[in-house]
Amino acid sequence: MEITFAVILWAVRIVFLLLLYLFLIRSFRALQRALADERIAVTARQTGLAALVVTRSHAGGPRVGERMPLRAVSSVGRDGGNDVVLNDEAASAKHAIVSFADGDWWLEDAGSTNGTLLNGSRVWERARLHYGDEVAVGRIALRLERAQ
Amino acid sequence: MIRVRPLARLGELRLLVWVAALSLTGYVAVVAAAAGRFAWYELLVPVMVLAIVGALHVFLVSIGFRGDQLLMPIAVGLTAVGFVLVERLAPGLLLQQLSWLVIAAGAFCVTILIPRDLSVLARYKYTWALLGLLLLISPLLPVIGREVNGARIWVGIPGAQPGTSLAQFEPWELVKIALVIFFAAYLDEYREVLSSPPRRFGPIPVPPVPYLLPIAGMWLIAMLVMVFEKDLGATLLFFGIFLAMLYLATGEPFYVLIGLILLLGGGFVAYHAFAHVAARVDVWLAPFDSDLRFDQAYQLTQGLFSLANAGILGAGLGNGMPERIPVVWSDFVFDAFTEEVGFAGALALLAFYLVFVYRGMLIALRAPTTFLQLLAAGLSFIVAFQTLVIVAGNAKLIPLTGITLPFVAYGGSSLVTNFMLAALLLRVSDITARVRR
Repeated sequence: MEITFAVILWAVRIVFLLLLYLFLIRSFRALQRALADERIAVTARQTGLAALVVTRSHAGGPRVGERMPLRAVSSVGRDGGNDVVLNDEAASAKHAIVSFADGDWWLEDAGSTNGTLLNGSRVWERARLHYGDEVAVGRIALRLERAQ
Repeated sequence: MIRVRPLARLGELRLLVWVAALSLTGYVAVVAAAAGRFAWYELLVPVMVLAIVGALHVFLVSIGFRGDQLLMPIAVGLTAVGFVLVERLAPGLLLQQLSWLVIAAGAFCVTILIPRDLSVLARYKYTWALLGLLLLISPLLPVIGREVNGARIWVGIPGAQPGTSLAQFEPWELVKIALVIFFAAYLDEYREVLSSPPRRFGPIPVPPVPYLLPIAGMWLIAMLVMVFEKDLGATLLFFGIFLAMLYLATGEPFYVLIGLILLLGGGFVAYHAFAHVAARVDVWLAPFDSDLRFDQAYQLTQGLFSLANAGILGAGLGNGMPERIPVVWSDFVFDAFTEEVGFAGALALLAFYLVFVYRGMLIALRAPTTFLQLLAAGLSFIVAFQTLVIVAGNAKLIPLTGITLPFVAYGGSSLVTNFMLAALLLRVSDITARVRR
């Protein structure tokens, strides 16, 4: 009886150590899968969180169909320092801000001279942007699309 | 409104099954070794621990949480190992630790429910900084401050008799999180000025003086903590987190260099000026000195014997003699664990921290905004740095400090804080998942 109890106890201790390692191996596997996802995510980062796709333009402006990747906060304007550069005389140097907050995309006019249109109506305060919405700045129109 | 999909977090659930098996086996081994017999009703405590863990999982599923599925199982796995060790080393404290786990689980849920994109944290950054500083100096206040084992880092609600407390808490633990939030928000805002300052002195960046003040202020506060609260670990952690986050935000190695020089300089002065700092270093340099061996170095040397007793597979759970180390359940759990499960077990334990921190850094990399990136990196860094400092301290690689081993060591304040930390990391990963849809 004495010996069997000791043997069982020994076995339980070994099992504990084994379980520790099995759990560790499972965790490593999960981490490995996460790393594979990360590779996909890095590609996603290069294409942005979402994108503004040019739907209407003019000669000298961006090409129709061009994708402009968005960051969490992206500035839109004529100036070359913006995240989304729009070459149009009617666009202000710093025209509008597109940002991601509280789980949604938002459009805000940055004090532009000629205003920003969302689905045809002028934006006066921060407005929610849905996928598929059309943003117009000067003669250029852009549509919000999910990242590819 | 929210569609609940019961199997949405299957990966997490699968890992939690391993946690359950590990927890029950460890508990059986420890109880059977201590009592020489085993009865099933003695599994009540680990079953309660697992019930709390299960409740957390159900909570995450029911709110449609989309964050990481690996972090929570590792955190509660380490906690479960911690409970096995509390049963082994200080069974009398088990119920107390269990009630702390309930509070920690509550804090976890509250943190998970912080609204939306966590921007509320960044918006009130100076409030967090002020809160952190108040918590930091609270142990120095007359009525509520408590000195325990030579370090004045506790606050307590005064009890009926003078000098006793109804409940005690280490505010420093919460300070860590408040400060990481502040650092992340501050560095997010002033990153540009700090990383590409208008003037440079050779290769050394010289940002305008007002932006340097917080850095100097942090150093001053770290030194004050060392002097007045006699807490070396807090000093090291506090300044370490700050330097790491500063480097992450700016990519300027010179800030780290300057910070390290300041820290070493401050440490050198403190060694010569303050007895409690000198004592720690002397114990570290020569613990077997005949004056120290059975006096100030007793805890450390007993810990070293415990480590030496470990071997590859250890003495077996419940079969070692870690109880010969004073206060083993809070300061020396790593040595106790190593003695009983050996080099193999210790290696696995450290690997779990590695996975946790690695996962935390991946969450930081993926986070959509700079603030969230810095926040996640800072939080992961807390866990990494604490593990490093206490394990190295237990192994006599660096002077011993009173930092706890995250999730494993006995202690209410640290359990609650670590659960909040894990919850914040999960929130960041949840936001990332929602942005990317």
